[in-house]
This record gives sequence, C-alpha cells and structure tokens, in this order.
Amino acid sequence: MAELAPTRLVAMRALYVALALGVIFVHLLPLTTHPVRWAPPDLLVALTLAWVVRRPEHVTALTIAAVMLLADLLFQRPPGLWALLTVLAAEYLRPGPASQGETGMIGEWLGFGLAVLVMMVANRMILGLLAVPQAQMSLDVIRLVLTVAVYPLVVLFLQGVLRVRRPAPGDAAVPGGRA
Amino acid sequence: MARDRTQREDYATPLRRLLLGIVVLLLLAIFLVWRIDSPRVERFRAQVADRVVPPMDWAMAPMTGFINLVRDFQSYQRLAQQNRELRSELRQMQAWKEAALQLEQENARLLDLNKVRLDPRLTYITGVVLADSGSPFRQSVLINVGARDGVVDGWAAMDGIGLVGRISGTGRTTSRVLLLTDAASSVPAVIQPSGQTALVTGDNTPAPVIDFVENPDLVRPGDRVVTSGDGEVFPPGLLIGQVAEDRTGRLRVRPAADFERLEYLRVLRHYGTERITDPGGIVAPADAGSAAGAGSPAAEPDPASGPEAATDG
Repeated sequence: MAELAPTRLVAMRALYVALALGVIFVHLLPLTTHPVRWAPPDLLVALTLAWVVRRPEHVTALTIAAVMLLADLLFQRPPGLWALLTVLAAEYLRPGPASQGETGMIGEWLGFGLAVLVMMVANRMILGLLAVPQAQMSLDVIRLVLTVAVYPLVVLFLQGVLRVRRPAPGDAAVPGGRA
Repeated sequence: MARDRTQREDYATPLRRLLLGIVVLLLLAIFLVWRIDSPRVERFRAQVADRVVPPMDWAMAPMTGFINLVRDFQSYQRLAQQNRELRSELRQMQAWKEAALQLEQENARLLDLNKVRLDPRLTYITGVVLADSGSPFRQSVLINVGARDGVVDGWAAMDGIGLVGRISGTGRTTSRVLLLTDAASSVPAVIQPSGQTALVTGDNTPAPVIDFVENPDLVRPGDRVVTSGDGEVFPPGLLIGQVAEDRTGRLRVRPAADFERLEYLRVLRHYGTERITDPGGIVAPADAGSAAGAGSPAAEPDPASGPEAATDG
C-alpha cells in the first residue's frame, strides 16, 4: 500500500483532469447553435466538489484553478471569476484534518447546494457590481436547480464506477500530503 | 497514527494556505485584468481556443456526427411517410423552380440593361464550424479559418442565405463568430419595403429584437430585414431575416440563416465602405461676386469653368 499509494495518487489526479477535460469537450460539441431556454447543469462544479469531499488529496486547489480557468476561457465566461468561486467553495467543503465525523448523504447534499447557491449569487453580484452584461436570471436559476439535482448521480458515478470513496476510519492515512 | 497524521498536517498546512492564497489572488488578478483591459485578455482567450480546440477536432467531428445520427433515428422510423411528403413537396418545388428560372433570366436581362455591377470585391472564405460556445449564456461558434487566412475582426459571417453574425476574435487558425442571437450583438438594419432603419439586438433567444424603429406602424410581420451598412462594419444589403411579432407585441427578426445547424459559414471579405471626407464645396458660378443674388445658378452660362475662374481671381 505504502509504495503503491504515490502512483495511485498521481493516477487519480490525472483521472480528475481527464474527466474534467472530457466534460469540457462534450460541452464544446457544436450540437445546437440555437439559443436554448434552459441551461444544462454545471457538471464540472458538481464533479469537483463531490470529489473534494471524498478524496481531498486527489484534487488540489491548483488543479481546480487550472481546470476551471481553462473552462472559463473556452466557455466565454469572464475568466477567473467562476474559477475563483469554485476554488473557494472547494476549500470550504474540503474536509479538514480534524474532521472525523461522517456527514450523511443528505447533509453533504445540503452543503453542496448551499455552496453552489452562494457561488451563483456571488457571481451575479460581482458581475453586477462591475457592470458586466449578464444573461437573464432564469437561466442561472435553472442551472442551479439542475446542478443540485444532478449531484447524487455524480456521487453515484464517483463511488460506483471510479471507486472514489471517503477513506474508511480503519484505513491508513494517505501519504503524499494534500498540498 | 492519528498523531502522526496531525503532525504532518501541521507542516503541510501553512504551505497549503500560502499556495491557496497565491492561487486565489492570481485568479482575482486575472478577472480584474479582464475587466480593466478586456481586449488583451480576449485576444489571449482566442489564442487559448486556437491551441486547444483544433487538436480536439478529430474526436469532435465523429462525436457530433454520431449524436446527430442517434437524434435522427426517430425520423428514420417515419421514413415512408416522410418520403411521400417529400415527393409531393418536390413536385411543388419543380413548379417553383421553373418560375425561379424564368425570373432569374428576366432579372439578368434587367440587370444587364441597367448595367448594374454587384460589388466585385465582396468575395468570401468558407469555414467549418468547429465548436460552439459551450455555454447557454453565450451564443458564438468557432470556425476553422483565422488570421492565417486573412480573417479580420468585424467581418460578416453568413450561411448560404442569411447573416449569421460577425467575427469577434481571431486566432491563427480559428476565429470566433459572435452570433446575431448573442446578447452582445447589435446590427444596424433596414426594414424593407418601408425603409425604416432599426437595430437588430440579440437577447439569447432564437429571434433577436428589433429596436429603435422610428415608426413601428409601417413595419409589418413578414417584411424583409437587411443590413443597412451604417456603422461601416457590415456591407449593406445582407439579408438578416423576416419581421415577426412575439406574444407581447414586440417586433423580432426571424433569422433567414438556419441557426439550428450551423456547419459551413461564409466569411465575407469587406474592406470598408468609402467614406466621404470632403464637406462639399459651394457650387458657384464663374463670376460669383458679380452674379450674387442675380438669379438661379442654373441660369448661369458655364458652371464648369467655375473653379478655374475662382483660382484666377
């Protein structure tokens, strides 16, 4: 385990980046160039936050920042802002070294919903303060609801398919640190 | 074990905090720089897209094709019925084609009679759509022609029929087309046949809004909307679409271009319309001093010799 762990850590970090790139890729496919009335869920945020809650050492703040900044640039969003909010939300949800107690699925879901809500409100407020033109509010609301709704599916995918789970209490501490 | 872990955390935590702080500050700085000096960051964004998207193209094209195939599968089930409909439609179309051919010939004859020359400099480059904006808040597409092919910001992009948008950001091999439907797009237009000028403004819906019409009573649903060429960004006379009225009574444009499936776009080379800088001299007769107030200028004998006489005197 001890000698296996570093390679596994690197592999899981790479897996996160690969998945994120996959999500960006799918978003960029020119399937419809027609304006739509609804907004798809923000899978990148759901994936990142769900992963951070489970295995914080796999997704460092630096990785999140890089991935989200790339997404900002490619998706024509104001670069940096959404990345910044995601990094801060990830830090907020990142289980600290002292946290032993498991919050249940419901608690985790609530925490995620709250984080995304705060992110979106902060996003709109900052853009509004700086007088950046924004899309209509309804799209953001739909996006928020769908992102929260899709979160359990992302969690299922992470736990079931990728085996990204919280370390059990009996597990050895994961070497490699979290920096 | 637990103590061991907390000890290591103690070493790691300040370092992590520092790193986190740097990352947060960096992102904030990027955002603020974007807000302050948007064009430079947008150029950087175009370069990033130029580097990232074309390598993905080999995977994107088959994926898009596959998904469209799956979507079309339902229509395959109705193949027989569709076939019948198409046949009857084809018969109608043949009748139309005859009419169109006759009109075309007539039009060519009339143009020839009038010695009209359509603008010979208005040529185009065709590009393939690589990717869309990836976000429901922005309406733009990335096409595979860029600065290397001479594409310049502001040029108009059309599909075969109507205006699609304008170039906004060019990389070396790619450029971004801001669609008419984007909230940041507004195009000066003329509504035919009434000749009212208006502004076609996108608002993230399929049909852009028509704003600033002087007399909306003269505008009827079904009227043609074409670019006016004001603002010297677009050449005049490009078809945008037809006027339509939405449920609240606002005038909108139903674009002639098919925004559902944008695949090939034509980028029109446009080198600007000629500008008239001369304020216009006074058209005066030869001996303007003596003839002042004597009568109408048309009554003067030789207006052509006017300028020379003026310089002599």
